[in-house]
Amino acid sequence: MSAPTTTARQPAAHTATPEAPARPSRGRQTIITVIVGAIILAAASGLRIDWTDLGRVPAQVVHYLQLMFGPPNWEKLPRALEETWRSISMAWVGAIICVVISIPLGMLAAHGIGPAWLRFVLRGLFAVIRAVPEVIIALLLLAVTGLTPFTGALALGIAGIGTQGKWVYETIESVQDGSAEAVRAAGGSTAEVARWALWPAAKASLLSFALYRFEINIRTSAVLGLIGAGGIGSMLSNYTNYRQWDTVGMLLIVVVLATMLMDTISGAIRRRIMEGAKPRGMERSS
Amino acid sequence: MSSQLPATAPANASSAPSARSTPTVPPKPRNHVRTAFIAAAFVAFTVLACTPGIGGVDIDLGAFVQHWRNGWNKFVQLLQPNFAFLPRTVGPMLETLQMAIVGAFAAALVSVPLTLWAAKPTNPSWPVRTFVRTVINVIRSIPDLVYASILVVMVGTGALPGVLTLFLFDIGIIVKLVSEAIDSSEHGYMEAGRAAGGSQLQINRLTALPQVMPLFANQWLYVLELNVRISAILGLVGAGGIGRLIEERRSFFRYDDVSAIILEILVVVIIIEVISNLLRRRLV
Amino acid sequence: MHSDAGRAATGSNPAAAPWHIELDNVSVTYPNGTRGLRNVSMSIAPGEIVSIVGLSGSGKSTLIRTINGLVAASEGTVHVGPHEITSISGSALRRARGGIGMIFQGFNLAERTSVMDNVLVGRFAYTPWYRSLFGLHTQADRDLALRALDSVGMLEKVWSRAGALSGGQKQRVAIARALTQEPQVMLADEPVASLDPPTAHAVMADLQGINAERHLTVLVNIHMIDLARQYTTRMIGLRAGEIVYDGPTADATDAVFEEIYDRPIQARDTLGDDPVDAASLGEHP
Repeated sequence: MSAPTTTARQPAAHTATPEAPARPSRGRQTIITVIVGAIILAAASGLRIDWTDLGRVPAQVVHYLQLMFGPPNWEKLPRALEETWRSISMAWVGAIICVVISIPLGMLAAHGIGPAWLRFVLRGLFAVIRAVPEVIIALLLLAVTGLTPFTGALALGIAGIGTQGKWVYETIESVQDGSAEAVRAAGGSTAEVARWALWPAAKASLLSFALYRFEINIRTSAVLGLIGAGGIGSMLSNYTNYRQWDTVGMLLIVVVLATMLMDTISGAIRRRIMEGAKPRGMERSS
Repeated sequence: MSSQLPATAPANASSAPSARSTPTVPPKPRNHVRTAFIAAAFVAFTVLACTPGIGGVDIDLGAFVQHWRNGWNKFVQLLQPNFAFLPRTVGPMLETLQMAIVGAFAAALVSVPLTLWAAKPTNPSWPVRTFVRTVINVIRSIPDLVYASILVVMVGTGALPGVLTLFLFDIGIIVKLVSEAIDSSEHGYMEAGRAAGGSQLQINRLTALPQVMPLFANQWLYVLELNVRISAILGLVGAGGIGRLIEERRSFFRYDDVSAIILEILVVVIIIEVISNLLRRRLV
Repeated sequence: MHSDAGRAATGSNPAAAPWHIELDNVSVTYPNGTRGLRNVSMSIAPGEIVSIVGLSGSGKSTLIRTINGLVAASEGTVHVGPHEITSISGSALRRARGGIGMIFQGFNLAERTSVMDNVLVGRFAYTPWYRSLFGLHTQADRDLALRALDSVGMLEKVWSRAGALSGGQKQRVAIARALTQEPQVMLADEPVASLDPPTAHAVMADLQGINAERHLTVLVNIHMIDLARQYTTRMIGLRAGEIVYDGPTADATDAVFEEIYDRPIQARDTLGDDPVDAASLGEHP
């Protein structure tokens, strides 16, 4: 009646529990768990933190939150908005600098475009810039050139090259498919391949990454302000030093709202770009 | 009525052979207006961002060149790292690593329930989900060093504000990225759990959690890498770690020491990345 | 009846009597306005094995999901054994689901988890939340899981990752998961649609065996004519959310199927890889 492959597996109601095969040993997993646990314990006990202090922290935080937000002081709002715009400008100019430098460099660092030695050098450069915290690059630049929003933007531009360049060459490499080969087969030069095969395919992703750089810069520009580059971060740092907590509370609200707003706008545009890229034709939404 | 049945057999309309005459060119899609609008918006925004009168960035290349000349000797100093300074960096560097590990560990613990609350498949109740997501978005929109500079005033200087900063920063990243990953993956096993009479807690704990563990492990390692970088700078505002030393040497204009520290950070960051990549290959 | 439910909830009575299923004028309208079911009434006696036949989109999946409350009926009542599914929710509904096993077309296993942990999902309805939170299973639950795995011939895979199994093995693990519930009713939603023909026959034979030996009420969604004929005794045909046939499988001629499908029978409506089956198909003109 049943299929030939069906063996005598009649689902019978056993009364006795069958012997289960031995559970495989979890020795390696246990060893890893123990090692990781030991490292975490060592790190926690090595820190010079009086862990009893931690119990104090919630009360302390509540106290300061009351000072900040009960209620915040809106008197300095106009200046805060101006400084926010300065930070956003810094982030925007920084993003443009970063993208303008990293797209050609990143393209040259992709397989099959630049010579191998150049690829090696550029990728090394990106890796080094990536490994150094952005703020430290900014700090060095600021130390050498003085503190202005422009140098802040420049710092953002340079510090971002490491990651942005990597995204560019990864994107370019991911779109190197048949179309690049087709242009090459038609007798195209490397520049023509880049222009007619790689750029159209990678354009949407690269634009999206550029906007993403802007979003990252919004946060980092506030940080650069803290160390003196101007903008909302500088204002925040000043009022924290003055201990004017109600104004600090207002500034924090402005930072949160401005960041979320820019994230939302930029994110919406990015989604539009990537959606527009998918159908690859005249069937554009809207 | 029949609209509920999926179209099973409609023939493809485009299968008719095309006539061999001059092809009719379909109209080229016109995007000029849109393109022009986007370009105008881009230029306008950039111009506004570069107008100092309204708070934009003052692109003053002259001053920049001049400053650069003033700063040349600092730059030269930077190119000559003083490695003799390194022994003094061991303690602060260790503190940096310890802060990174403790911050990531604390965030890893707290991130699990928060993430499961923030993802749609693991939390069908939208009010709770929206609340958790909003809190996470607020946490994420405050930059790390801003946390540190405020926490230093709140709880005093040292490693504690640093660890708290890393904790908050990590929570934001893990919960957002992992909950989005959970949202976008397949969850047939949840229907099976529900059909067997399981509660959401049982389904989450015994099937969803093991299922998404690799996503968590991946992000935990990622924030550990980020923490090493960030905790290197938290000392700039007094939150412990090697940043304190950078700030100190910088205020003494000892840029040779500063560049030695930076090279050390670079090496440590790369080592941590290599280790975490090894672990990642094991776990994921 | 009520004492039955009480004993089932303790999970210690494998010999509990099977449940009947009673749908009274059930309609389902989805939030987007789509009508899933229209005024469906049916009565299935305890211990019957019934196939539900129809094209995809005919409401088969919706019907089977209203029986365990995964899809809520917009109108009408559903009774399963002592439970009125349409009037209960929360823990009462979860308890009722405990007595209703279900297997799926896509197996619905947690692929990264071991076979054992997947099968123990079948004990959810009988496990208090604190035990689940700490992942503690009783020895009795483990024994049930092992016995269920043994009965579908998957015992030696108990510690494997579910994702590492073949399709047929996964469906057997899914059957073991449902059996671990010690259910009174077994629902199967297109259980063989993702399987190759020999495995499909094996799984259908398993369901038949469950019905015959464990005396469960079995309800199978299927669109393969020959499988419905071979393994079930009664057939319910659905078209556009309405019951268009309800009777013994033996009486369901090809004309009946053409009526249900609203089109001539095609090659893909039969599995036709089983020698027995091919012969039986040949009898029909």
